[in-house]
Amino acid sequence: MKVKTALTASAAAIMFSLSIGPVALAQSALLQADNVWMTDAEAELQKRLARQPNTNRAKNVIIMVADGNGVGTNYATRLYHGQSNGNYGDENVLPKETLPHLALVKTYNVNAQTPDSAGTATAMLAGVKTKAGMIGVDETVNRGDCSTVEAGKVTSILQLMSEAGKSTGIISTARLTHATPAAGYAHAADRNFEDDSALPEGCEVPDIAVQLINAMESGTVDIAMGGGRRHFIPEEFEDEEGKNGRRTDGRNLVEEAKALGAQYAFDEESFAAIDLSSEAPVLGLFESSHMKYENDRVNEPSLADMVEASIAALQPNENGFFLAVEAGRVDHANHGSNLHRTVTDGVAFAEAVQKAMELTDDADTLLIVTADHEHAIAFNGYCGRGTPITGLCYGIDGEGIAHNGEVQLADDGQPYTVVGYLNGGGSILKKEKMPAEMMMEADIVAENTDEAAGEQVAEAETDNVSTSDAIQAHGDRLAADLLAQLDITTEVDEDTGKSESYRWIGSRGPLTQEEATDPDYIQQSMLPRGSETHSGEDVAAYASGPFAHLIDGTIEQNFLFNVMRHAAFGE
Amino acid sequence: MKELSYNHLVMNMPPRGTSRRQFLAQSGTVAAGLLLGADVAHAEQRAIKLRDLYEKDMSFSPFAENTKGQRIAVKGFMAPPLKAQSPFFVLTKRPMATCPFCNDGDEWPDDLVAVYAKRIVDVQPFNVALVVSGTLELGDYKDPDTGFVSRVRLVNATFKRG
Repeated sequence: MKVKTALTASAAAIMFSLSIGPVALAQSALLQADNVWMTDAEAELQKRLARQPNTNRAKNVIIMVADGNGVGTNYATRLYHGQSNGNYGDENVLPKETLPHLALVKTYNVNAQTPDSAGTATAMLAGVKTKAGMIGVDETVNRGDCSTVEAGKVTSILQLMSEAGKSTGIISTARLTHATPAAGYAHAADRNFEDDSALPEGCEVPDIAVQLINAMESGTVDIAMGGGRRHFIPEEFEDEEGKNGRRTDGRNLVEEAKALGAQYAFDEESFAAIDLSSEAPVLGLFESSHMKYENDRVNEPSLADMVEASIAALQPNENGFFLAVEAGRVDHANHGSNLHRTVTDGVAFAEAVQKAMELTDDADTLLIVTADHEHAIAFNGYCGRGTPITGLCYGIDGEGIAHNGEVQLADDGQPYTVVGYLNGGGSILKKEKMPAEMMMEADIVAENTDEAAGEQVAEAETDNVSTSDAIQAHGDRLAADLLAQLDITTEVDEDTGKSESYRWIGSRGPLTQEEATDPDYIQQSMLPRGSETHSGEDVAAYASGPFAHLIDGTIEQNFLFNVMRHAAFGE
Repeated sequence: MKELSYNHLVMNMPPRGTSRRQFLAQSGTVAAGLLLGADVAHAEQRAIKLRDLYEKDMSFSPFAENTKGQRIAVKGFMAPPLKAQSPFFVLTKRPMATCPFCNDGDEWPDDLVAVYAKRIVDVQPFNVALVVSGTLELGDYKDPDTGFVSRVRLVNATFKRG
């Protein structure tokens, strides 16, 4: 009865509204008006109503990229960061998540549904999508073909900013010659052309390390800090940490940079000794290869430290500056299916973003914070609030907020972590050798199928083939069918002539919360792959400052370049 | 024609009248017996993590210094061997699908343990966790066969799945 009355009342309201048109209706009081979710959202609404687009000219532009940090990976970092600060994680807000504008970004390369970092970096920094593996060239260049690089070159935002008299910097926790930073200053038919030893014979395009030093010499790059020392020094030369270089042309680019007047840093002490007020360029090479994961970092600056130093060094230029920042190892930890290092490097990136926000003014600085692509990361459920994001899923408490402390089990009776990967080194499938005894059984089974063999014999007699051959042939076929049915593959070693049969097989074992939350734990995955893959899923771009409001909706990745260029030059 | 299943292969042909459930239980035992078996003597030993041997700056940990010359058990993964039919392999903290020594583009992690086993190594899948027991040796050593330079070794080693 009560229900019927309510329906009648609402029907009357609809009719009333139809008859009087667009006149504001009297609202019934919100029962939840004092609910904190409601009051918080109301405050947010008022803040957004007051928002005005910023159409100032951008004096400075900063683009910060966490490699491989798509929406899913970012979610894991948000929760880890929050949980590290003592909250449930979900309610946590990362610094970039306070920026007013956001777009979803389509990351594919022209020839790759699943993109790579070279193609995506070229899209962001030079405004054109290109093929996977390409640095600073358009899609007319084929991978590895140096001969067409000159014709395929594209202009990067860093180059434009430098030509406009602004100071420029590139920093990364990966090698400075790696895909993402390289797209700022280099043109290469293959991202792997990091030093001369990797160039194909006859390639006349300088390797990526040489291009960086050339850019420092010409004044296009003022600050470059990251890893990758080995690509700058000869193979016979041992660096400050006792590791040899990779160059085979005998050039020591570190010494060449110093001779050009550059300040060089290789550890925490020499980093601290850099004269940031000097106009001399800065070359920081803190590792032979990539810089360390934040979890393992020792005697090298953090990404936030490098951001702070770079902004301090670049800011005095009254024409402004451009800074490209990469957290390069979120990607590497994802490739290793090691969520702990993924999220701890994610937090280091968040701290670097916070530093950039603190040290700049959004009245004159366009800040874009994004990722280049996502990974094959996925999330299991149903977990209660406060479930450790790197660990096992706990159940939901129907009578409270926090999880109920009960480890959730899958149908195989084993617990599962919140995060898994679709492929990777943590695969539950292992390549197991089939013991010889087992393979002999296959033969016995095949030979014992008398009934079927008899039919085969009858057929053989009509075809005038010897009976024993027919039985043998049938047995072989049956054994082969059996092995195929069981996914058993046999490989013959070319050197020894020995054959080995194996099958990819596996099941999940028990797992404790302590084991799962260990910093070295590898999250489980389905497909076996030594290195977990990227995915083509969207990433987000967060932005503040001049023309940040253009970063909105769903965009192609290369559009970010146009926004930076328009904000800085009005073009 | 008989219906063939995996169970027929895992175990000896079942006697008539044995239930499928019993076969599975038996097959598990048989498989475990075939795959494991090594190093029962150290089964009770508490395995340490590879990181327990190193400080962050890659110097040796106090634990490593204190247990030098003693038999210890270390958890890790077998990197794809540098050489077939050898008692030598590299134990890494995380699974490595390719042999970095063989592929120029790849890199060994800094924190690894070189293992010199008692016998020719039965190569294990790259993503199977192992516990290796052996006598701990510290200090630079260049393998005469492969040229591999190690700083931490487990010698006279045996291993099992862990």
